[in-house]
Amino acid sequence: MKKQQLQDTAAFAVAEAKRLGATDCEIGIQAGESFQIGVRNGDVEELQGSQSRGLELTVFVGQRHATVSSADFRRRSLTRLIRDAIATAKVSDEDPSAGMAEPEHLAKEVPELDLYDPAIERITVADRIRIARQCEAAAMAADPRITQSSGASFSDNRGVVVLANSRGFVGSYAGSMVSISASVVAEADQQMQVGSWYSVSRKLAGLESPELVGKIAGEHAARQLGGRSVASQVVPVVFDPQMAARLVGQFVGAASGAHVYRKSSFLHDKFGQMVASPLVTIVDDPLIPGGLGSRPFDAEALPSRRREIVSEGKLAAHLIGVYAARMLKTAPNGQGTSNLYLQAGTLTPEEIIGSVQNGLYLTGVSGPGFNATTGDYSVGASGFWIENGKLAYPVEGITIASNVVAMFNGIEAIGNDLVFRGGTNAPTVKIRSMTIAGKASS
Amino acid sequence: MKNSKKDVSRELHRLFGLTTDQVESVIGLALKGTPANSFCDIYFQAGSSEALSWDQGRLKGSSRDVVAGAGVRVVVGDKVGFWPIDKVDITGLKRAAKVARQIADYAQKEIVPPARAAAPQHNLYDVALSPTTVPLADRTALLKAIDAETRKHDARIQNVSVKLSVENYTIIVANSLGQFLVDERPLLHVSVSALAREGDRTELGSSGGGGRIPFAALANDQVWKQHAQLAAEQAILLLSAAPAPAGEMTVVLGSGWPGVLLHEAVGHGLEGDFNRKGTSAFARRMGERVASPLVTVIDDGTLADRRGSLNFDDEGTPTTQTVLIENGILKGYMHDRQNAQLMGMALTGNARRQSYAHLPMPRMTNTFMAGGQHDPEEIIRSVKYGLYAEAFGGGEVDITNGNYTFSATVAWLIEDGRKTRPVKGATLLGNGPKSLHHVSMVGNDMALDKGIGMCGKDGQRVPVGVGMSTVRIDNVTVGGSQN
Repeated sequence: MKKQQLQDTAAFAVAEAKRLGATDCEIGIQAGESFQIGVRNGDVEELQGSQSRGLELTVFVGQRHATVSSADFRRRSLTRLIRDAIATAKVSDEDPSAGMAEPEHLAKEVPELDLYDPAIERITVADRIRIARQCEAAAMAADPRITQSSGASFSDNRGVVVLANSRGFVGSYAGSMVSISASVVAEADQQMQVGSWYSVSRKLAGLESPELVGKIAGEHAARQLGGRSVASQVVPVVFDPQMAARLVGQFVGAASGAHVYRKSSFLHDKFGQMVASPLVTIVDDPLIPGGLGSRPFDAEALPSRRREIVSEGKLAAHLIGVYAARMLKTAPNGQGTSNLYLQAGTLTPEEIIGSVQNGLYLTGVSGPGFNATTGDYSVGASGFWIENGKLAYPVEGITIASNVVAMFNGIEAIGNDLVFRGGTNAPTVKIRSMTIAGKASS
Repeated sequence: MKNSKKDVSRELHRLFGLTTDQVESVIGLALKGTPANSFCDIYFQAGSSEALSWDQGRLKGSSRDVVAGAGVRVVVGDKVGFWPIDKVDITGLKRAAKVARQIADYAQKEIVPPARAAAPQHNLYDVALSPTTVPLADRTALLKAIDAETRKHDARIQNVSVKLSVENYTIIVANSLGQFLVDERPLLHVSVSALAREGDRTELGSSGGGGRIPFAALANDQVWKQHAQLAAEQAILLLSAAPAPAGEMTVVLGSGWPGVLLHEAVGHGLEGDFNRKGTSAFARRMGERVASPLVTVIDDGTLADRRGSLNFDDEGTPTTQTVLIENGILKGYMHDRQNAQLMGMALTGNARRQSYAHLPMPRMTNTFMAGGQHDPEEIIRSVKYGLYAEAFGGGEVDITNGNYTFSATVAWLIEDGRKTRPVKGATLLGNGPKSLHHVSMVGNDMALDKGIGMCGKDGQRVPVGVGMSTVRIDNVTVGGSQN
C-alpha cells in the first residue's frame, strides 16, 4: 500500500475520532511485506512471506482513554472500531497524567535517515536461495566435527510507518531490513553443541558475506565441544560483545520512567549519581544514518535526539515518555531506545583477556536471571576458562551471579571492538568479580 | 460439540463471508501441480484480545486487538510453503494459495501420505459467555479489589500493578483431507505484582493465574484473593531474604509451577522437530533410561479448563495424553503432522501456532510429573542442607547440549531438615538427559500451576501449563551470589 493512502487512512481516523466525540486521538500504522526462505542440507525447506498491515489507535476523552488495534482498514470498520474505543474510554477511570504529548514537545521535522534500500525489492528468490545455501555450506565446512545442520535462512522485510495525531503531527518513513543466519551442530565424544550466527542490515550491501556468517556459526558450534563445569569460585568475568550488549540493555531497562515514578528499580533515584565505573558511557542515538534502530521520531511523536544515559559512570538520563513526564512533572525525552550502545574503550579483546589470570570469558547465558527491582543477577553461563591470560578450555553447566550495581561499578576494562549488530550494542567488557557456581569446590 | 460441517460453514460465512466450497477450491488451487500426497491447510482466526493494566492505584490503560486473518500452508514432505493474509477474501486466499504452492518446485516427488486424524471429541472449555463480553466496569472492579486486598496485607506494600487479559478467538481449520473444524477458544489471565519497601530495600512479589474459564471463575473471591495474598507475602518475605548460596546442593521444589523444570529439562527436547533433525540431546534415545525410576512425565492437552489445553490442536488433530517418560524410561515425542509423518509416528495433537500468521510447530500443552509416595514434609525433613524453592519465574533450555536453567524468585534454606531462612532468587541449572537421574523423592501432592505459563519457541509464544509434586533433586547447581 502506498504511503499516501496510509496517511489518508490516518487522517481519516483522526478526523473521525474527533467527529465521534474524542478530544484527542493518535494513530500509528505499519504496512509492509516480508519474505523468508529457509534451507537445510542444501534443500529449500521453507518459503514464507506476507503482506501485512496494522494500525493502533488511542482515543482520549478528556483524561480518559482507550487503545485499539486492527488490520481492517475499511472506513466502515474503522468507524466502528473508533466508536467502540470511545465508548471504552468513557467508562475508564480518569487519569490526570493521561494524554498525548504537548504540542511544544512534538517532533517538528522528520529527518531523512537512509533507512530504506530499494535494492531489496529487486532481489530474486533464486538469489536468496543461493545466499542461504552459501551460508549453510560455509557453516558445515567450518570444522570437521560439524555433523548436522539446523538450517540457514535469508529474510527481508520492507515497510512504511505512519504516525499522526490530533495535535497536528503527521510523519512517515519507509524502512527495510535484510538478514541471513545459520545454525549447525558439532558432535564429539557423545556431546553435541549448537552454534549460530547472523548478519542483519538495513541494506543489502550492508550484509556480511554468507561465507563469513556461516564460518562463524560453525566455529561457534565446534569451539564449545568438550565444555565442562568448573569449581565454585569468585573470579573476573569478561563478557563478549553479545553478552555485554545484553547486559547493557538490561541495565538501561531499569532507567525507564515507569520505574522512576513507581520507585521500582535500583536506578529510580540515582539521577546525577555515579552508577558505574567512570569508564562507562552509554548512549542512545536514533539519528545514526542507516542504523538498525534509527527512527526519525518515536512512537509518541517525540523528536529523535541523541541522549547519553550514562556519562563516564554518572546516570545522565532516565527514559521519560509522555505519561512518565506528567507523573514526574518534567519534560519527556522519549521512553524507548533506538541504537543503544556502550561507548568503545581502547583495549583490544585480546588485551582484556590477557589481563585475567584466572576467570571466565562469557559467550552464552541462559534464563531471565535479572531482577530490575533489586539489580540481582543470576544466569546460566557458558564460554571459556581463562588461564594466565589465554582461553584454556570451554566451560558450560555453571552459573554466574552478582548484583548489576556491583557489576557496573566493577567494570575494569572496555574493548575497542564495538560493532553495531542490532538495536543494542557493546564492545567486550571486563567485570572485576562475579560468583561462579559449579561443581563442589573440593 | 458444534462441529458438523454445517457449523463450520455457518461460522466461515459469519466471520469471513466465505463458503466451504470456496475454501475447498482454494485448497484445490494450492495443491494444483504439486506431487501426490502433498498437504494443504488453511487456518482461520477471528476474535479479539483485550488487556487492562492497573498501576499506582488506578486503571492505567486498556487495549483491544481485533484479529481476523488466515494462513494458507502447503506441505510437501519436509518442505513448507506458507502465506498468511490479514484481509480475508477469496481473491486474497487464491493469491496466498499460489504463493504457498511454490514450495513444490523445490520438493522431491516421493512423499509419505498424510495421516488421517481422529474426529475431535473433547469439549474442554465450554464457556457460555465470552470473557470479552464482560463489561469493563466489572473487570475494573476486580482490579481495584485486587489492589486493595494486596495493600491490606502489609503497610510496606507501596504499589500494586495488575494486568488482566482476556481473549476469545474462533478458530477454523480446513485441510486437503476434507476436514473442516471449528473451535472457540477463550483465555483469561490475571497477574499481580506487589512492590514492598522497607528502609533501602525494595522487592517485588508476584502471583497470577487463569485458564480457559469464565470470568466468574477468576472473579471468585477465593481465587483472586489468593493471588493478592501470594504476591504481597512474596514481596514482604523478600525484604528480609539473604543472598542465595552458590554451588551444587540438594534442592526441594514445591508443587505446582516449579514443574517448569520439566518443561525445560525434558519437554522441549522431546518435541518432534528437534528429534527428526537429530539436534536434540534426547535424539535417538527412545527406550533408554533418562531419569530416575521415580520420574514419569506426561504431556496432556485434554485437561478441562487449562491454559495449555485445546479441543484439537492447530492442525485439527484431537489433543491427547502423551507419556514422555515412564518410570525413568524415554517413551514418547510430541508431534505435529509433518514431523510425525516424516518419522513414521502417530499424531499426538501437539501442533500449535501463535496465530494465523505463524507456522505450526510441535509444542507442549500441559506438561507434568505423575505424583509419588512421599509426604512433602517428610521430603524437607530428609535434607541436611539445601534449598527449598517454591516460586519461580521462567526458564530456558539449549535443546542440543541439554543444559537448562529455571529461575527461583524466592527460596528457603533447609538446615537439618527444617526450612530456616528465606534467601533471594537464583538460577537453578541442570542438564536434561542427566539431572533427572538425581530425583530422589517425589511427593504425593501433585498439583498443576495456577495458569500463568507462556512458552516461547522460534519467536512464537503459546500458553502452556505445567505441574509437579514436591520433589527432591540432588546435585543441582544453584546460582546464588554467596560463595
